[in-house]
Amino acid sequence: MLEIKGLSKSFGGIVVAQDIDLVMRPGRILGLIGPNGAGKTSLFNLASGIYPPDAGTITLDGASLDGLDLHERARRGLSRTWQHVRLFPSLTVLDNLIIGARDYPAESMVTLMMAQGRVAKARDAARAKAMDILARIGLSDTAEKSIGDLTYGQQKLVGVARALMNDGRCLLLDEPMAGVEGHAYEAMQRIVREVAASGVAVCVVEHNVAFIRDLCDEAVFMFQGRILARGSVADLIANPELTELYFGH
Amino acid sequence: MEYLYSIAILVGLFVILASSFNLIIGYGGLISIAHPIFYGLGAYTSALLARDAGLPVPLCMLLGTLLAMILSIAMALPALRVSGDYLLIASIGFQLGMIELIKNFRFTGGAGGVSGIPAFLVPTFGREVYVALVLGVAVGVVLLVRWIAHSDYGRAISAMRDDEQAFAALGRDAKWIKVSLFALGSGIAGFAGALYAHYFRFVTSEQFEILMSSTILTMVVVGGLRTPWGPVVGAILLQILPQAITFLNLPPALLGPIQGLLFTGLVLVFMFLRPGGLVQAGNTWTAHGHVRKET
Repeated sequence: MLEIKGLSKSFGGIVVAQDIDLVMRPGRILGLIGPNGAGKTSLFNLASGIYPPDAGTITLDGASLDGLDLHERARRGLSRTWQHVRLFPSLTVLDNLIIGARDYPAESMVTLMMAQGRVAKARDAARAKAMDILARIGLSDTAEKSIGDLTYGQQKLVGVARALMNDGRCLLLDEPMAGVEGHAYEAMQRIVREVAASGVAVCVVEHNVAFIRDLCDEAVFMFQGRILARGSVADLIANPELTELYFGH
Repeated sequence: MEYLYSIAILVGLFVILASSFNLIIGYGGLISIAHPIFYGLGAYTSALLARDAGLPVPLCMLLGTLLAMILSIAMALPALRVSGDYLLIASIGFQLGMIELIKNFRFTGGAGGVSGIPAFLVPTFGREVYVALVLGVAVGVVLLVRWIAHSDYGRAISAMRDDEQAFAALGRDAKWIKVSLFALGSGIAGFAGALYAHYFRFVTSEQFEILMSSTILTMVVVGGLRTPWGPVVGAILLQILPQAITFLNLPPALLGPIQGLLFTGLVLVFMFLRPGGLVQAGNTWTAHGHVRKET
């Protein structure tokens, strides 16, 4: 469970998070909705350790994440994707996934030189796991392809697949459906449901209201760095004041 | 014949320097201009320990390598905690500062340099053996760089270079990868310096000045960045060409400027006609023994 308490952050006069309290529970999918500039991605950046907060605390399964770097939080089980995918263009699809394995082999040059057997074993395990995830999202045939050979929707799926290699206990998905349609749309819905069903706490930032409505157990509405409302997706969508804030006058 | 041996040794040393610099700037994406001073630190340390402390030359060479590695870590660690830009700034300060220290300390021989450095292998086995040693080390370094670049570690290096933040978000510690690459590259440069010192038996700070960075960088860029064999081609070409010019019987006052113009001209030509260098790197990382089929 990821628990955020009293989280605040401002850049000069721009407030991106203001006294945010939020809980992401295992096995549940939380939707984060709001207009552009509401602070949704900034909240992900604060939670994952890209920005240090001005105030507030973050815990994962009771253990504090405060003061930890991005990579340290990921090692503790906090996985995330990016709005603009950010796959590694110089690697194939399969290698993009292998690099995401929690115990990636040979991250240390000393390990590479001194423990080649262990490295090979861990690499083979990561490869098998990556192929399994690619099969689940229907992209097995793209394993040896370059990232540039994929459609944007496929790239989004690979971004989620790469985050899943971490075996995290909390998954933050930043606009996974932007630019995704057809087969990729269905595959994305299916994989997110499967991940949550396995006991992972999932939080989704998304402008695709239908996706949020079909998938999320609950949602919060953010505006100008604050959480304005919480509840079921249906209730939030039905609220005329929130709809007006979302779409403007 | 001695002249040819000297050329062969210089070619070998520059292959080592260019390959180790390729590890830092090409594979690691780290901008540093301090490579000459790590070369110099290896040379001075090994020379002084062998001459003044009477330690065995192989041990002195290893200590020179070790000192270059330790100082490179000390320089890179604080800089890389912030960003790669700070490494460039730190490397400029380190390069210029260390050169001034070497010039002004009595025990380093000041501006006059260190002479009377004990020879290694040559008195017993002859120059051919030393040439073989240097060329053997050069081949070893090229193969080491190739092995690292196409290993699981190389996969991580490629990903880190593509997008450091996305890489860190997967639980990978980019800082230590960068520091390791920098230390290894600098240590290899230090070893090259030690090899230089015990053959030519005289070192002076002028041999390790900041301008040498541009020479090594030109070798890497012209040869082919991020390829194991590119710096080899670059080093051979840019060591042989200036030597060939000396046979034109030009006045000595013209030789230096012509060699400088040649280097600059080559960089410009390659920038426009072949930006990837003579040996082109592929777009996609591949593991050892894996041949990628382009789609």
